[in-house]
Amino acid sequence: MSKEKALVEKIERKFGVKGKAERKRIWINIRKENMIDLCRYLKELGFEHLSAISVTDFIKRGKYELVYVVWSYHDNIAIIVKSEIEREKPVISSVTEIWKESAQIHERELHELFGVEFEGNADLSELFLENWKESPPFRKDFNWREYVGKKYYYKQDEKEKIYLEAGI
Amino acid sequence: MKEELKLKRLVKSIWVFNWFNSCGVTELLPMVGSRWDMERFGMILVDSPRHADCLIIGGYQTEKSMVRVKRIYEQMPEPRVVVALGSCTMSGGMYWDSYNTIKKLEDYMPVDLYIPGCPPRPEAVFQGVYEIMKENGGVKDE
Amino acid sequence: MSHENVKERELFFGPAHPGSGNFCVKLMVDGEKVLSARADPGYLHRGFEKLMEYRDTMQNAVLSDRICVFEPLAWNLVHAEAVDGLMGVDVPERASYIRVIMAELSRIQSHLIWYGGMSMGIGFDTGFKMAFGYRDYILDIFELITGGRVYPAGYICPGGVRKDMPDTAREKILDVLKRIDEIKMLEKFENPTLLPRLKNVGVLELKDTIRLGATGFVMRASGMRTDVRKDDSYEVYDQLDFDIPIQNDGDAYSRFLVGIREIEESIKIIRQALDELPKGRLKPIKPKLSTKIPEGEIYIRNEVARGEAAMHMVSDGTGSPYRCKIRGPSFLHMIPVLEYLLKGVQIADVPAIYWSLNPCPADMDR
Repeated sequence: MSKEKALVEKIERKFGVKGKAERKRIWINIRKENMIDLCRYLKELGFEHLSAISVTDFIKRGKYELVYVVWSYHDNIAIIVKSEIEREKPVISSVTEIWKESAQIHERELHELFGVEFEGNADLSELFLENWKESPPFRKDFNWREYVGKKYYYKQDEKEKIYLEAGI
Repeated sequence: MKEELKLKRLVKSIWVFNWFNSCGVTELLPMVGSRWDMERFGMILVDSPRHADCLIIGGYQTEKSMVRVKRIYEQMPEPRVVVALGSCTMSGGMYWDSYNTIKKLEDYMPVDLYIPGCPPRPEAVFQGVYEIMKENGGVKDE
Repeated sequence: MSHENVKERELFFGPAHPGSGNFCVKLMVDGEKVLSARADPGYLHRGFEKLMEYRDTMQNAVLSDRICVFEPLAWNLVHAEAVDGLMGVDVPERASYIRVIMAELSRIQSHLIWYGGMSMGIGFDTGFKMAFGYRDYILDIFELITGGRVYPAGYICPGGVRKDMPDTAREKILDVLKRIDEIKMLEKFENPTLLPRLKNVGVLELKDTIRLGATGFVMRASGMRTDVRKDDSYEVYDQLDFDIPIQNDGDAYSRFLVGIREIEESIKIIRQALDELPKGRLKPIKPKLSTKIPEGEIYIRNEVARGEAAMHMVSDGTGSPYRCKIRGPSFLHMIPVLEYLLKGVQIADVPAIYWSLNPCPADMDR
């Protein structure tokens, strides 16, 4: 655990943030404005492999939380960086200039499923869905069971309704 | 004389089109292999829809892939058979509340045979093909 | 518009092509040479991550089989580890050894599907029949232990395994492993069928692997010594003794050889685990619908047959996860890596490169 603790203290001192160290995992919360500097610093320290980028939708607080997970093959530690943005107009700068193609494809998927705008990403065209006109599907206010009921199950055939109502 | 020679029903060997997608592929590919050999029943895999007699839909379909399946179905010459495998084609199955999968295959094309299972075993698919051939008069009753 | 001026044509290596799986690649070609490629996924997209939010833990254990249709037990293990970590549960040691045995059998079975599909794409029919023939022996073991040939219905669930292994399973596993040793024969097919189609085709150099997001066997075939079972160890892998196979050329043939060596290492692991299996009997786990997962979040990394699989689970104190992000290895292999490797090759090499990356369209689209 000493390697993880030393790394956390180095980052806390340099950026003024609070971090948590566990076995092979470090969790850091940082503000959106300082995130690109932290990412550049982590890349220089040897965290070259971007494992995943994810978005958690906290609808009660009105925020999206972005999660970046990076791994270092040299130290065998994963650092998880979290940062919050507004839910109604989600905009953040892209990390494609740091982690290149692997960041670009993750951001393209999140743009389609959550509606996040990544400034600086060259290609945010549609990936999984074709001609999708409704709201981004993974947001918490898009209720799938209502959507599926209206589109498929509540049709002219009354018998179909039991499939939907039995499940709720 | 010419009317009697026109093929109206599938009587003997049934050629299957190679659209093996989603979960059914894990049980349909062993059917082509040597343990559950499908060639002894006269079935082979073909690569062009114009050569095929039968379209096996092996599992759930999404909106995007349904467009392609309809195009393949329209290109197959008569007489043709559609076999639907699994519970996802009957009523949505495990993904009944997913926004992107279709719930009933019958809404898109006429289905001749449903085979239940998740996924159905190779023996079940062979029994299904046997029922088709028997109904069309290709099997001698014992 | 006269036809002499049109040099580029668009070709679909598409979802209904005899040499591909359920995934479409749009190629711009000029004669026989590919100028650029663009991946078109989404034919199997179900929205898995949000489906898991509508179901509770035991239902999710059954649903997690279907994240990748070719290796259900490996993804069962990822989900079970995530929930165990959040609930702070210590799995009994005998259950941990059984989990390792099932995960390694699933890895061998998945590699055999890979070789079958690759042979079908190249046009090598004997390899297809051999691979699927040997795979059926392993499916018989799965049916004996879990009850299902392909989908085990959540056999590896949070808390251990659903029920204990029967007593006849040990003999059967050892018998099947002796037969699968013969798969080394595939490597000897060096002459005209496999070697010219795979050698020096689709070369990925080490300096490009991390930037494009490659993990697992693709990096090992380019010369990097890495394996999540050794670097970020989970279950009882740190008590077992096995090697990591490395090749240095980075072409399709190196990836094929890494796969064969991995099958041999998996056979070694299963034999050790069967010898060291602790005695005793496990109680069967009954599905309880009232389990609540405490608040928190966790990030689990595992090594599945295709590379690095990861899951980020956030829980808010109820019985269902609040958000469950799934990272599939094929998402990175089939979009950035494939588009990079297909630049400037001949059309006839496209199926060989496509299959040498071990594609699973289901865990790419989720």
